[in-house]
Amino acid sequence: MTLETISETAFDFVTLENGLTVIGEAQPQARSVALGYFVRTGARDEGPPEGGLSHFLEHMAFKGDARVDALELNRRFDALGASVNAFTGEEVTAYHAATLPEHAPELLELLTGLLRPALRLDDFELEKAVILEEIEMYDDMPESRLFDLLRPQFYGGHPLGNSVLGSRSSVAALTPEAMLEYHTRRYSPNNLVLAFVGKYDWEALLEQVRALTAGWSPQTVGRSYPDFVPRSSVTLHPDPNLSRALLGMMFPGFKATDPRRLASSVLAEILGGENGRLHWALLDTGLADEASFSHQDGDGLGHFEGFLSCDFERAAQCLEIYDGVLEQITREGVGEAEVRRAKNKLAVSTALRDDTPYPRLFALGLEYLYTAQRVSTEDIVRQVRAVTLEKVNTLLELKPFSIRALTALGQIKALEVHSNVKD
Amino acid sequence: MWKGAGGLSARGLAEAQDDLGLARGGGAGFEHTRLSANLLPDDLESAFALYAKVLLEPHLEGDDLEPLLELSRQDLLSLEDSPPDKLFAELRERFYSSGHRDPVQGTLKSLETLTPETVRTMRTRHTPQGATLALAGTFDWTEVQRLARKYFGGWTGEEVDLEPVVLEPRFEGHLEQDSHQTHLALQYAGVHPRSSNWYAFILAINVLSGNSSSRLFAEVREKRGLAYSVSASSELMGPLGFLSAYAGTTPERAEETLSVLRAEIETLHRGVSADELERSRISLLSSLIQSGESARARCSSLGRDYGWYGRTRTLEEVETALRGVKLEQVNTFLEGHPFENPSILTLGKSAVSRGVAVMR
Repeated sequence: MTLETISETAFDFVTLENGLTVIGEAQPQARSVALGYFVRTGARDEGPPEGGLSHFLEHMAFKGDARVDALELNRRFDALGASVNAFTGEEVTAYHAATLPEHAPELLELLTGLLRPALRLDDFELEKAVILEEIEMYDDMPESRLFDLLRPQFYGGHPLGNSVLGSRSSVAALTPEAMLEYHTRRYSPNNLVLAFVGKYDWEALLEQVRALTAGWSPQTVGRSYPDFVPRSSVTLHPDPNLSRALLGMMFPGFKATDPRRLASSVLAEILGGENGRLHWALLDTGLADEASFSHQDGDGLGHFEGFLSCDFERAAQCLEIYDGVLEQITREGVGEAEVRRAKNKLAVSTALRDDTPYPRLFALGLEYLYTAQRVSTEDIVRQVRAVTLEKVNTLLELKPFSIRALTALGQIKALEVHSNVKD
Repeated sequence: MWKGAGGLSARGLAEAQDDLGLARGGGAGFEHTRLSANLLPDDLESAFALYAKVLLEPHLEGDDLEPLLELSRQDLLSLEDSPPDKLFAELRERFYSSGHRDPVQGTLKSLETLTPETVRTMRTRHTPQGATLALAGTFDWTEVQRLARKYFGGWTGEEVDLEPVVLEPRFEGHLEQDSHQTHLALQYAGVHPRSSNWYAFILAINVLSGNSSSRLFAEVREKRGLAYSVSASSELMGPLGFLSAYAGTTPERAEETLSVLRAEIETLHRGVSADELERSRISLLSSLIQSGESARARCSSLGRDYGWYGRTRTLEEVETALRGVKLEQVNTFLEGHPFENPSILTLGKSAVSRGVAVMR
């Protein structure tokens, strides 16, 4: 097999009368099936008193619907041998599972039930305690704290700066009534995509989906896209308990429907990949223990994200080197060989990752949710291959790294040095 | 080894790797070192050539050592900022009296004494006796044999001894750290894959943890809301197997969490129900079949099996074995092998009263 011999994908696809989009990618060699509901909702769709509501609702989905309670629901999932889980982000909430093909109908029924949860009061209070524990758990993870600080700093008052988990006080103040209102507002069938990947019987599943969602009715679902003007900023968060200095950076990037997003991924690989410029400048030299760079394309907006972890005494030096790498690439552009290698790396890793049902489910469902396109693995490989040196250098001519939000977390001494960093 | 090999610099190796789009994996562990690659089938020979250089002809230059020692030192310092990782590193240090006690990166002290010479001596342990080459996916077996002979046929060296695993006596301890949560770790004696009780052991662990209806998730999280993260799993070191458990919770609920955690693990000796066993079994079978779809997962299993058994198991063999375990077998095993007297280590603002196992 080479990348040229990957067979073309034929998609199953339909939008039901109630607005629910169902998309399928049959993998004839598969021995399992993965399925997932992708909901176009997340922290950015929460109003000010709703901090953490999307994520809390995702937890409550697993507490059962009108017919079954949480323990029974869990037992039923497990009886199917299903690996089932969910995640909530700024823009998407997803409920997903995988099992053997013969259990697909029962799993589909259970998974669909998650989207119409009972929201019982005693479950609500119990689960609130679990979420407060989850917030505490993330507070013991410095990198997570760093990006929780950085995100609102970069996005300012834009809803993309909202926290997925919410704060202790915002979560404590949430009510079942507010959750029900949010659910009604966001979980409309026309705001959902149901995806199947692997071995499945499309006609039978579709008939079942129609029956299971017959009572669902569509309604107008909005999302606000306020203007966003990125600005440079620096904030320092001293924490004498940490033994490392952590620095996070965000720069303006490109939205998911922008054709330049692939060139952005190639650029991010050239900078932050295993063989990227930051690796050779900071890790190969032993100066820092982590130096990464990536591009996140979102709904209407996108950003580049950088991360650096090092000894606090070296934070200023490492940041200067990190900045130097970004300045040099902006000034001089990228080279033919590094573009070729980065493209090859991205293309092959995509093809190898997405050849089994479960990983492929996310690529398929999320891509459709963001772009309304049915994009196959071979399409992605082609798009990556179509990136040229000129496309990457055209991106760099826009000087995307000239606006930077920087957050530093760690011991105060190092951070004082950082306060001299130019804004 | 990746800092330069076979006449290529670190950058030359990285470029050769990227030219293939090859994803590199593996690393040093407590008992094995693994080099792995995920790649397109047509590039197999290029990958053999690249890996033969790294494995058989590493330069191991003195100049390359300093930055790597720096990285290891920083890795060890990072443990201080990650309470669960720190907790388990400290648990190992107290649990083993043999070399298995140290982190894979070494200790701050041992790093000080590492020289290019000690690294070169360590490399003499890389011999074909005890090395396994595993492949899964699309390939031609005759071609693989030709490549193995061509690139690794001249590799020589005797089998090396492994240090025996020696345990410290059971202990209980607390590490004071100003963390948000109190983190709890328990380690019990368990079973090794070579034991006839292995399948009963992993089925029982799955009753305890790993699924939505597993006992720990249900009792600690779903019914009591004590923790977000709670789990138990099997751990292996040398010829020994263990049951290892973890939970993270706020300090004021740590005592109750520890008590419920211990009670759930320690009452397993009373047995599991037929329903529980069936859910555990189907979950393991389903994971098995899904892992069989992934060449990468299958490749790891082949290598691991060879280490455990000196042979590989087909998916069908594992499936048959899992299907064949009877309820009486599991319960006889649990009765005869009660999980009790764990070593306990906690980490957090203040010590946790020892939750004496509360019987249900």
